[in-house]
Amino acid sequence: MIEEIDKKIISQIQRDLPVHPRPFALLAEKIGISEEVFVERVKRLKDRGIIRRFGATLRHQEAGFKANAMIAWKSPENAINENGEKLARFREVSHCYHRAPKGDWPYNLYSMVHGGSRDECRKIARQMSSATGLTDYAVLFSEKEFKKTSMEYFT
Amino acid sequence: MDTTYRKILNEIQSDFPISSTPYRDLAKRLNMTEDAVIEAVKRLKKKGIIRRIGGNFHTSKLNFVSTLCAARVPEEKIDHFVETVNAYPGVTHNYLRAHSYNVWFTFIAEEMAMIEEALETIRQKTGVREILNLPAEEMFKIKVDFAV
Repeated sequence: MIEEIDKKIISQIQRDLPVHPRPFALLAEKIGISEEVFVERVKRLKDRGIIRRFGATLRHQEAGFKANAMIAWKSPENAINENGEKLARFREVSHCYHRAPKGDWPYNLYSMVHGGSRDECRKIARQMSSATGLTDYAVLFSEKEFKKTSMEYFT
Repeated sequence: MDTTYRKILNEIQSDFPISSTPYRDLAKRLNMTEDAVIEAVKRLKKKGIIRRIGGNFHTSKLNFVSTLCAARVPEEKIDHFVETVNAYPGVTHNYLRAHSYNVWFTFIAEEMAMIEEALETIRQKTGVREILNLPAEEMFKIKVDFAV
């Protein structure tokens, strides 16, 4: 259950924090509460795990990660957990999910890989393949970014 | 990249202080002045290295659902398809990828039924029939930090 006051706080911190010595004071003022209450509630949202992470989100390309690939794997369903955990252990992997295959799309395990170049991403894919024994996989490089924003949950 | 920038970036991705004076707290940790930290963060934003500073949420704990969708879009329809899809505020990421399923986007909403309905509307508006809805069964990793 998310209280109304927390929804208002979330609506402020889901955007971009002002770069200012007292950023939370500015946001607190907008929703008519004190800075102290605002800060305490943000901490609590983090302790409750509702805020997964609080901090800066980088543009990977600008930070030196020139290539990103989604690698989709076909794993036996009974070894999904084991393989998912093996893939997740790779430093270069930012996201790793199990998704059910659908229609003519046979893959059921996904890993997002960030590297300095496409060759580097392919090399990581080969290392992941030998670590898991999975040989049926597709490397889908991102060719163009059409949209990248943060979700606005409560507006 | 400058060592100072590097230190700041590695610090503020997941350890941004939640306090009344976060930049002063960061300055203490990094052995810098508060003004210098603020100036550096401003510059990193201006350069486009920092996209935003704020909260990232556990979608399901906010009672929202999320999914990944893949569409097979003929080249001549891509512009219209992307425009139609991106108009939904719940679509937060959308990429062109090299595969016959070439357009991949994430979709967040309060209920999966709303996403299914949106996908049907998108099919009708664009004539693109092949859109897969691939919700996660399990998450093994969401990485917090990028060492720069």
